[in-house]
Amino acid sequence: MAFQHKQLAEGGWEKLTFFEQMGNIGSEVSRALNWHNKDKTNFQAAFNRTLELLWLTINWAQKNDPVKLKELTRVYEALGDYFVGENQYQTSTKFWQDYFLAFGIAARRETLR
Amino acid sequence: MTHRISVFKRYLKSLINDELCCVKLKKMKLVTKKITKKELAEMAGKMFGNLVKAVVDIEKKVIAVDMPMHADGEKLLLGKGSRQEALWGINLHPNETGKGWIEFDSMINIRPHFDNLTRGINDSKTREKIIKIVSDLVG
Repeated sequence: MAFQHKQLAEGGWEKLTFFEQMGNIGSEVSRALNWHNKDKTNFQAAFNRTLELLWLTINWAQKNDPVKLKELTRVYEALGDYFVGENQYQTSTKFWQDYFLAFGIAARRETLR
Repeated sequence: MTHRISVFKRYLKSLINDELCCVKLKKMKLVTKKITKKELAEMAGKMFGNLVKAVVDIEKKVIAVDMPMHADGEKLLLGKGSRQEALWGINLHPNETGKGWIEFDSMINIRPHFDNLTRGINDSKTREKIIKIVSDLVG
């Protein structure tokens, strides 16, 4: 197993709140969207980081909040479908930006509270 | 006023029923004992026509079948305590004969941190385990 985010994979990720986790995944998604069809190396790195962080969040949800599993596993599959598949679920750049922005905002609200 | 509320309640109920119908259509099956290809063919007929999506737990040696997305099978098995690393997505083509009836192709298989960068399954040992589990459970 070779996580790019080693410290996070070793437990740091689970210290973040769910919104913080999703907000961080959103940052990687944003980078992947930015590099998609422009720079293969940068895109692949961002896409890989997206999937590994989402993988860690699914692991976290399995232990701490299983009700979130349905959505998280679907997000994992749908992201793959959008970036490297046939986009059969018909998502878009805007869809993914909006989806993850909501978590980013929620994370900021938590911090500022 | 009371009439309006009851109309609204009926409307809400109809929405919930629609939702429940969808859920019913998407009901999955956890295969722990042998099932037949004929049963799989019936499932395929109701969902995608020629294939059944499945998620295999290579540790517990069980298969979740008949789902709209592999993610749903993954969710089912994670909810039953499976380890994420042990789950792999495949498609079963019950009307095909030979090796081609098991297709290693799923978005949930893309795992850069496990050196699996495609929708297939790179590791031949994992593929062999899956073939064995499917052969044991489908006959």
